[in-house]
Amino acid sequence: MHIGIIIGLGGAVGFLSGLFGVGGGFLMTPLLIFFGIPPAVAVATEANQIVASSVSGVLAHMRRANVDFKMGSILLVGGVFGSSIGVMLFAFLREAGQIDLVIKLSYVFFLGMIGFLMLLESLRAIMRTRRPGNHKTKLHQHNWLHGLPLKMRFRRSKLYISALLPLAIGAFVGILAAIMGVGGGFIMVPAMIYLLGMPTSVVVGTSLFQIIFVTANVTFLQSVQTQTVDFVLAGLLLLGAVIGAQFGTRAGVLLRGEQLRGLLALMVLAVSIKMGFDLVIRPEHLFSVELLK
Amino acid sequence: MILIHKILITFTLLFSASIPTSAYSKQIIADLSKSNITITSGFHGVDLLLFGAVEGKPGDDILVVISGPPTDIAQRRKANRAGIWINVETNVWQEVPSLYTILTTSPINKIAKPETLFKLGIGAENMKLKLANRPELTKSGLVPKKLIAALKQNMNNLDLWSKDIGGVVVTKNVLFRAEVHLPANILSGAYDVRVLQFRDGIAISEDNTNLLIGKGGLSAKIYNFAHEHSALYGIFAILFAVASGWLAATAFRRA
Repeated sequence: MHIGIIIGLGGAVGFLSGLFGVGGGFLMTPLLIFFGIPPAVAVATEANQIVASSVSGVLAHMRRANVDFKMGSILLVGGVFGSSIGVMLFAFLREAGQIDLVIKLSYVFFLGMIGFLMLLESLRAIMRTRRPGNHKTKLHQHNWLHGLPLKMRFRRSKLYISALLPLAIGAFVGILAAIMGVGGGFIMVPAMIYLLGMPTSVVVGTSLFQIIFVTANVTFLQSVQTQTVDFVLAGLLLLGAVIGAQFGTRAGVLLRGEQLRGLLALMVLAVSIKMGFDLVIRPEHLFSVELLK
Repeated sequence: MILIHKILITFTLLFSASIPTSAYSKQIIADLSKSNITITSGFHGVDLLLFGAVEGKPGDDILVVISGPPTDIAQRRKANRAGIWINVETNVWQEVPSLYTILTTSPINKIAKPETLFKLGIGAENMKLKLANRPELTKSGLVPKKLIAALKQNMNNLDLWSKDIGGVVVTKNVLFRAEVHLPANILSGAYDVRVLQFRDGIAISEDNTNLLIGKGGLSAKIYNFAHEHSALYGIFAILFAVASGWLAATAFRRA
């Protein structure tokens, strides 16, 4: 693959991630696969790149004290555990020749779900701004999740909840991160808001903080197990992404929040639909080969 | 470069013409413009010139076979299960040439009969294809033709097994040349180049040469490091990412 194309891809995805404030892994990994990078290399290398972009993102949030380190630590314990399982699962599926299928199914299902929910939410928000009214929402909703043992106090998030909940969320997102080649922010952020009830101000910073460790774990395990991490490729993508993100952030100021979310939802849905089509449309060649050397 | 080729060709020609025909002399002599190629980062494949001299007559044909180092190949078949296309069958071909390029002056069926090509071991049809996972099929010679045809098709789509009919050009029955393109996805190793002269369906002369493809430069060092010290490589990749992330954050904080 040409160096210019790689940096260009990084720049384009960086622009979108700056615009929407997302990590961009869910766009970059499918694009790399689309451009002929083997899925195993794409997923492992993208994990390496996300380490870098999360470090640079978390520094900005730390300056504004928008990181709940205690919550982040519990999430990352779960995340490291989950991503280790994810990498093992990945190796097993690769051996069985089914990794492409599982990657695509995960994208179809999770992106489809998240994209659909986001689209609904932003449409509702757009309607609401057109018809202003009084909307009161409860800060927390209490349910059975609050009855779990091992309760802990999270000062920064103003929460007193069971540690099992963030552990489980961390583990689940960790598995997905390892298999899909993403940081998992697009699942982690809604889970933090709706399941844990964290204040939105600390959500992104805390999510980025734990993503660093989860993707670092994936990078290390993939390096050891499959030797599929290409840090040169990751570095080139990052170079493009860093520059693209600056322009994206500036462009983002021009759009309103709910419009941005609506656009992001459409993009997420588009990736999901594209992956879905790949699975249901009869492939041009029923046979495929892989050189085992 | 072209000038050097021309001089080389002239010399080869003079040399071959000046020696009286003996049992050891060849009617065909070939060489490559480059015989050592290094794959570095940003490798997009390589274009070579194969050239040589031949004691030819009108109507003679030249056929060139370039075959790359053997590799195992996993071949997967997709089928529709519950509406989605998934891999349902995997076969592993053992020790097949990773590259198999044929260049000729005329269509292959006009150069020689299939039996002749079989005896010479030329053509993807005449490879000794073995299925690692189904030795019983290999032994009995009942490897499904469909699998072989699909393998040829897939390898052809990857530009690894290709045919260039008319790719060899002969000038005045004495000089010939062929432009050879090797794709970016070739493996490193030793490549065999066979150059055959055919007359009336029979191979009357053959010359062989080699091509060495090596991994070099920074990418080879990184590749070796990643495979020999994979844990260190992983730690390095993480540190590299943390450092560049930090660098990016500080650079744009001031901007």
